[in-house]
Amino acid sequence: MRTRATLSGIFASVAILVVGWQAGTAAVTAATGGPTASTSTGSSSGTSTGTAPAPAASAAPTTTAPAAAAPATTAKSGTFTGSDVSTPFGNVQVKVVVANGKITNVTPLHLTDNGGRSVQISNYAAPILRSEVLSSQSSQVSSVGGATYTSDAYLTSLQSALDQAGI
Amino acid sequence: MGSHVFETMGTVVSLAIADAPGVADAVTAVTRHFSAFDERFSLYAVDSELSRVASGQLALTASSDELRSTYASALRWRDDTGGAFTPHRPDGVIDLNGTVKALAMQAAADELLDRGFSDWCLNAGGDVLCAGNQPDGSPWRVGVVDPADRNALLFSIPVDGSRHAVATSGSAERGDHIWTATAIDRSYLQVTVVADDIETADVLATAIIAGGPDALASFVERWSIDVLTVARDGSLAATPGLSAALERLEPGIS
Repeated sequence: MRTRATLSGIFASVAILVVGWQAGTAAVTAATGGPTASTSTGSSSGTSTGTAPAPAASAAPTTTAPAAAAPATTAKSGTFTGSDVSTPFGNVQVKVVVANGKITNVTPLHLTDNGGRSVQISNYAAPILRSEVLSSQSSQVSSVGGATYTSDAYLTSLQSALDQAGI
Repeated sequence: MGSHVFETMGTVVSLAIADAPGVADAVTAVTRHFSAFDERFSLYAVDSELSRVASGQLALTASSDELRSTYASALRWRDDTGGAFTPHRPDGVIDLNGTVKALAMQAAADELLDRGFSDWCLNAGGDVLCAGNQPDGSPWRVGVVDPADRNALLFSIPVDGSRHAVATSGSAERGDHIWTATAIDRSYLQVTVVADDIETADVLATAIIAGGPDALASFVERWSIDVLTVARDGSLAATPGLSAALERLEPGIS
């Protein structure tokens, strides 16, 4: 159960990284010109997950793997590091591993907020469907939370019912 | 399992705790903590210390250490939330409603823990602070009311790990009882914040209601919290930690 929760968290983090991944794609595309592509400016137009706006990015990639210098006619392999991409949550820099032209791994290198501090980017609130949470109602609850109720409103509240049941 | 219910601060407090020697005394002590905070900070009682400050009968500088430190703490929250949370009503009166219920809950929690009670769940007007587990060893489970239907739960989550507090803010029950130093944002109908402590959960739930999505995006990076929002159109959004907690709730696991 714990493992599963952890995995869910990881997947959620990965989902957020699609923003960065899009930037990474742009970076790789821009890199097809060879190592000197670091002077080119890729434009990212990725559609992001959730409500996160597409990053207004100028992904100027630098290649760090010798393999990236292979002739342009062959599929690319190597590790590519994108430049900082601006997102509403701060700046993200991602590392993209490419094997035979396919992205095999995307790793966030760092994220800094507008104040320059490093932060986690796994906390972003993403849309969920009501059907995803409805199943939770099948479980018995110990306490009922909600916006503060008055003494009168308590009398007809779910919490009042719980208290009377002595659960 | 006993459910101890008492009225205070214009709302109702419910304490779920297993019957044991000393519980009755502990409940009495818990009740006293809420009464003490209410007597000092209520703006409904004209003779409370805070009411006398508000009316000018008592200078802030001559007020009690408790009042001034509570006010100072609320001002820190105002600064930390960029003004989304504020202890000032539009007419300038100091209103500490935004923090005193949480402070009373924390005082009650400390009292219970000091008395050796490690498993209980305290609900004060819809804000919940739990410790330990249910008598059967499973985590306390907190359901949150659907703002569109107060007789239905929107979701429920287990309270385990370090996340002991679940606070919900919204306009569903008491109307917009929220002051803000910034332009009020109307994006969210209800916001639930799960945090390690009830003051953080309560203040940030209020501040996200007032500050909207910008406040949410900022706060989730600066505090260790999980959030579930209900937008005006009824749509939901949740931080990954809360989504994960929801996913753990499969029938049979409870």
